[in-house]
Amino acid sequence: MAGKEATVYIVDCGSTMGEKSHGRSQTNLDWALEYVWDKITTTVATGRKMAFAGVVGLRTDGTENLLDNEDDYAHITVFQELGQVLMPQLRKLRQDLVVSGTDGGDAISALVIAIQMIVATCKKLQFQRRIVLVTDGRSAMQADDLGDITSKLKEDSIELVVLGVDFDDAEYGFKEEGKDATKAENEAILRQLCDDCSGVYGTLVQAVDELGVPRVKPTKPVPSYRGMLTLGNPEEYDTALAIDVERYPRTMKANPASASKFVIRSDMAAGEATQSTHTIDGEEAAPNGTNDGLAAVKTARTYQVDDENAPGGKRDVDRDELSKGYEYGRTAVHISESDQNVTLYETSPSFDILGFVNKNQYERYLDMSRSNVIVAQRTNDKASMALSSLIHALYELESYAVARLVMKQNKEPRIVLLAPNIEPDLECLYDLELPFAEDMRSYRFPPLDRVVTVSGKVLTVHRNLPNDDLQDAMSEYVDSMDLSTFGQDDAGQPAEYGAMDETYSIMLHRINQVVKHRAVYPDTDPPPPYEVLTRYSQQPSELANTAHPSLSRLIQAADVKKVPPKARGRRYGRKDAPKPLSELDVGALLAQDSKRSSKQACIDPKNAIPEFKQLLQHAEELPQLRAACAQLKAIIFDWIRHSVGDSGYGRAVEAIRVMREEMAEVSVAAAPYNEFMRELKGTMLDGGLGGERREMWYRVRVNRLGLLLAGECDGGVSEEEGRAFLSAAPVAAAAAAQ
Amino acid sequence: MSESSNYGHGEEDDDDEEEVADEAGYKTSKDAVLFAIDVSESMLTKPEDSNPKKRDTMLSPTVAALKCAYALMQQRIISNPNDMMGILLFGTEKSKFQAGDAETGRGGLQYPHCYLLTDLDVPAAADVKQLRSLVEDDDEAADLLVASKEEVSMANVLFCANQIFTTKAPNFSSRRLFLVTDNDYPHASSRDARNSAAVRAKDLYDLGVTIELFPISHPDRGYTFDRSKFYNDIVYSATPSDPDAPMPLTVDIKPASSTAKDGISLLQSLLSSVASRSAPRRALVNNLPFEIGPGLKISVKCFILFKRQEPKRTSYIYLPPDSDKPQIAVGSSTLVADDTARSVEKVEVRRAYKFGGETISFTVEELAKIKHFGDPVLRIIGFKPMSMLPIWANLKPLTFCYPSEEEFIGSTRVFSALHQKLLKDKKMALAWYIPRKNATPALAAIIPGAESRSEEGEQQVPPGLWIKPLPFADDIRQAPDINLVTAPDPLTDAMRVIVQQLQLPKAIYDPRKYPNPSLQWFYRILQALALEEDLPEAAEDKTLPRWKQIHKRAGGYVVGWGEVLDEQFREWQRGHEKHIKPTANGAAKRTKAEPASSGGGAGAKKVKAEDGGEGVTDADMRDAYAKDALSKSLVADLKAWLVGKGLKGVGKKAELVDAVTKYFETKMDVD
Repeated sequence: MAGKEATVYIVDCGSTMGEKSHGRSQTNLDWALEYVWDKITTTVATGRKMAFAGVVGLRTDGTENLLDNEDDYAHITVFQELGQVLMPQLRKLRQDLVVSGTDGGDAISALVIAIQMIVATCKKLQFQRRIVLVTDGRSAMQADDLGDITSKLKEDSIELVVLGVDFDDAEYGFKEEGKDATKAENEAILRQLCDDCSGVYGTLVQAVDELGVPRVKPTKPVPSYRGMLTLGNPEEYDTALAIDVERYPRTMKANPASASKFVIRSDMAAGEATQSTHTIDGEEAAPNGTNDGLAAVKTARTYQVDDENAPGGKRDVDRDELSKGYEYGRTAVHISESDQNVTLYETSPSFDILGFVNKNQYERYLDMSRSNVIVAQRTNDKASMALSSLIHALYELESYAVARLVMKQNKEPRIVLLAPNIEPDLECLYDLELPFAEDMRSYRFPPLDRVVTVSGKVLTVHRNLPNDDLQDAMSEYVDSMDLSTFGQDDAGQPAEYGAMDETYSIMLHRINQVVKHRAVYPDTDPPPPYEVLTRYSQQPSELANTAHPSLSRLIQAADVKKVPPKARGRRYGRKDAPKPLSELDVGALLAQDSKRSSKQACIDPKNAIPEFKQLLQHAEELPQLRAACAQLKAIIFDWIRHSVGDSGYGRAVEAIRVMREEMAEVSVAAAPYNEFMRELKGTMLDGGLGGERREMWYRVRVNRLGLLLAGECDGGVSEEEGRAFLSAAPVAAAAAAQ
Repeated sequence: MSESSNYGHGEEDDDDEEEVADEAGYKTSKDAVLFAIDVSESMLTKPEDSNPKKRDTMLSPTVAALKCAYALMQQRIISNPNDMMGILLFGTEKSKFQAGDAETGRGGLQYPHCYLLTDLDVPAAADVKQLRSLVEDDDEAADLLVASKEEVSMANVLFCANQIFTTKAPNFSSRRLFLVTDNDYPHASSRDARNSAAVRAKDLYDLGVTIELFPISHPDRGYTFDRSKFYNDIVYSATPSDPDAPMPLTVDIKPASSTAKDGISLLQSLLSSVASRSAPRRALVNNLPFEIGPGLKISVKCFILFKRQEPKRTSYIYLPPDSDKPQIAVGSSTLVADDTARSVEKVEVRRAYKFGGETISFTVEELAKIKHFGDPVLRIIGFKPMSMLPIWANLKPLTFCYPSEEEFIGSTRVFSALHQKLLKDKKMALAWYIPRKNATPALAAIIPGAESRSEEGEQQVPPGLWIKPLPFADDIRQAPDINLVTAPDPLTDAMRVIVQQLQLPKAIYDPRKYPNPSLQWFYRILQALALEEDLPEAAEDKTLPRWKQIHKRAGGYVVGWGEVLDEQFREWQRGHEKHIKPTANGAAKRTKAEPASSGGGAGAKKVKAEDGGEGVTDADMRDAYAKDALSKSLVADLKAWLVGKGLKGVGKKAELVDAVTKYFETKMDVD
């Protein structure tokens, strides 16, 4: 794909470009540069060595070009010879392209210079040649040699693009009133020139507007399978059908540029390490991008195995001491070097149709993968005809084929769906991978159109089921928000709104946008995202307005109520304790149990969590809650104190979690938990729970079991305090507990 | 740290930018299943009218349950390698509890007639072996599977389970007790004993353990399991860990019959019953706001119902020099600066993009702002007919979503109304979709999915909405240019008959019938290695086409189609002979008549390219091979040709020549 290209930008820097026209807040030059920078940085971003760019300044104060001894070529400066542009060149150009104090300089002469640059660099080689001229057309031009220029452009197939500041463009619908005569004349000349050499002539406002529409990078199709599509087994039966086909990607996720990890180099002061001005001298940057004060970050891996004799029960082992294998449950299975292939299921490339299914019964949730397109071998007319008959037969029968595909030798077989597609010049099969038995998870969910009770009764009227009014309102709303004709096609006819080819990869273009922006304007904040990227984040307002009455009706019929944060989950002292299916009153049974019924019941450490919860069922007052927590606290402390290594940590974490959850549900009870937590931290980190327990504290942190926050429970602490608590030193925490 | 071993294994994923679901940090998102299997006289009795030809039907209920547990254990090692499993027999003559529990000295005396066969843990090869020998070796079974003469206390069984969960699987998000029994009325004469059991069941509930009951009836003895006698006091409708869990649908808990009259053995129905509950439901996203329109929000939970199951990645194994027991080495990563090799804290790390030979960097805050497109939401933008969704518009498996009442009361009825409307009118919604905090926004189609049930009434696919992230323009590739030759009607007609002959059963694709052959092979080998069994010789591959059937049902029509193709193509050639143009690289495109077909039979309809516009043809290559002149071919040609055959086209020229030679050596008979 990556062919060679050479583009020369001619940028008008004349004094008139310093004006701010038509109420714009930026100068004409800055406005024009928006376009130019975007184009150049797009080329830089590709990182292609053979994507050359050159920049010529027109109407510059100085003069520097191949023909600079001739008067006709005065005030023209070659700022950048044709070549790959990198950051240093970009920085230089930013200094170069400024408004000059002159009006001298002929655009046509600049064109000649640009043509010379291209001829000198590209010679007769395969290049895509282009000249982009951006000007306000307000200086005199010598239009005598235009014929020669036209024929030269044509001869070398150089594409000419002329973009004018406030040029008239009937097609785009722009006309500048009160234009001065020189400009009008120049516009006419340039338009004629473009027409003659089949170039592009446009007004700048259109070009800048279109910068907001991302360009999609075309990718050369590379086949993922070439071979036969068979029905039956040609090796065994003489009744098998085989068609030579090729398979190409149809969808493929385009990923945004990925950021690499860096740290500021240790030999740099922090301040120095921003956009430094180290140059690269055409050399590849030092391998890890260290040129701008950053050092790359790598991931180092260490390995540990259990060892009873080592402190902590674990011991580091060197990578070289390890060999490859697999885990089978918690058993390690070693596979020696020579047996590496023993787990490989041997296959050879093949593409076999298993049978056919009904299109209308196919459920779209079976789609497993990106899609591909299958066409006949591209130079094989007979195969094309043969495949066409399959495509048409499937289409007419409203059927899809199901096939088994092995793309390459020893690749795992996949089952794919083959769907026919018929367009005037493209007949093909689309394929999508289908799931295997192992890929499905059978989670059960109750039906949505009826409610089945425990006793097996089927209800059709229930608070979880929509009534007729809600169904009607929903139906009306869905119909009123129809997008199938809300959009517009190129001809202004009603068309689908939000069609896939009008939507652009949000993160990809967002990252490109800000990276390009920062490359040119290192000191400015990143711009807001292009409108087109966020266009589909909201309903189109025009349609939403029309549909508003239906929506209002729906909202009324739906009667949805937000659950207040406090009411979520269970509350203490609530009436409806959970009951088994029989509705047996287990609470009453518990009450008969002498060990558990009394309010001062003692929690059995072996059954701590259930008994703690059951105790809370009867606890109404703060002292009772405190007493329950104190009991659980003693048990938790015991577990940690007697833990061999981390053996007791799991239970302790669970108990802490339960205490936290239960207390969070009681509206006044942040205190008992937070007191407990502070004491735990203080005691534990001071070594009061059987020695060094940092690992346990780590678990408290990763499980987010810190203090109850104000947002979770009345009487909770602020977020800052909660965060400080989790990270603060033990001494401070102990002090806070006082 | 030890916690990281659960997640960070071998993960060198750069993408830590998406915040992981909030709940994940709270509990270990793992599942622990403890089988409790009743060993009573009646559970050990083989069915009377069993069919000796079918070994499955000869099993006593206890052995069937053990086999089922054995199957589940093998399966879970594959599908949920981090999940725990254990097996507790109750009502046995023998008693046994956790081995080596020195701390308390608990022994079998504490839980009489409870025999902990496999302690709750991630299964090891030894556990699988032990269980296998029990279900396959009758002597061993006869020794252990002896029913106790006195009745086992159910309260004790439940407390025993409680202790196993408490000590072995603390802080698990899902803990389940699978109870297999045929006794619907234990302690028939003692209300007190039944009440203590109910109390112990409540303990389990408060501990967060769900009891799943697998009741067995004996139609041959005129006995039907009645849940209302005892077990409805034990089983709770909602689990504390998942308040939204459905009522246990009564159809799902069909008492399995111990007879095989309806063709389904006890083992089979137990297996299917267990399979349907083997996976604990884990939400991908909890309580995602679903905005139906401005001002109308409900909440949904998202689940992954389809996910490509891949073979395990290799791990590093440590072979201690002084023992032959390999150990798994647990890896952990640290970040290191490249220049000085000092280790780096996460907060120091900056992100930068390579650009123009340098790096463009942003502060963490800037980058967060750049990537922020709003809070998590599924927001409907409008509706379209399903017909506007082309079949190819897909990138990855879909996400299932189902309403939740946790954030908004009334979510379920609104969701249901939308679901029914979309189903009825075959419509979909277009939505702006940010599944998690800081996740990349996507445009998604929301597709209604109807509930599907098997003939036995088991739910196979739940009803709900499916979120399908759509490709952007950037993700859509252009189709290659082709020379289209449209099939004339007679040829299409001939093909239509073939298609009609070869419908899959019920004209649908049922994934359950197609196990992944590579994955199955991988785990069979791994299991054989782990259990020190003999390696299997051949794999069973259910994805291979039924060639014989295809031959029988459609063979004749294919031959007919081939004849029509020859005829129609000759006609087409006559009309197009003048239009043969040289292709871009100068090679003329010729299309010859049918090549010689294999085996001399006139039937095999291979449509092969005789001459490609690019690369070397098979014929050229075969010529070169026959003349021993392969080494004169260009490396590029050899490579291209090998790749075209799906072989490896890499290496030095000699290797390439070898590969081609090898290919022809095995294929010579075709010539």
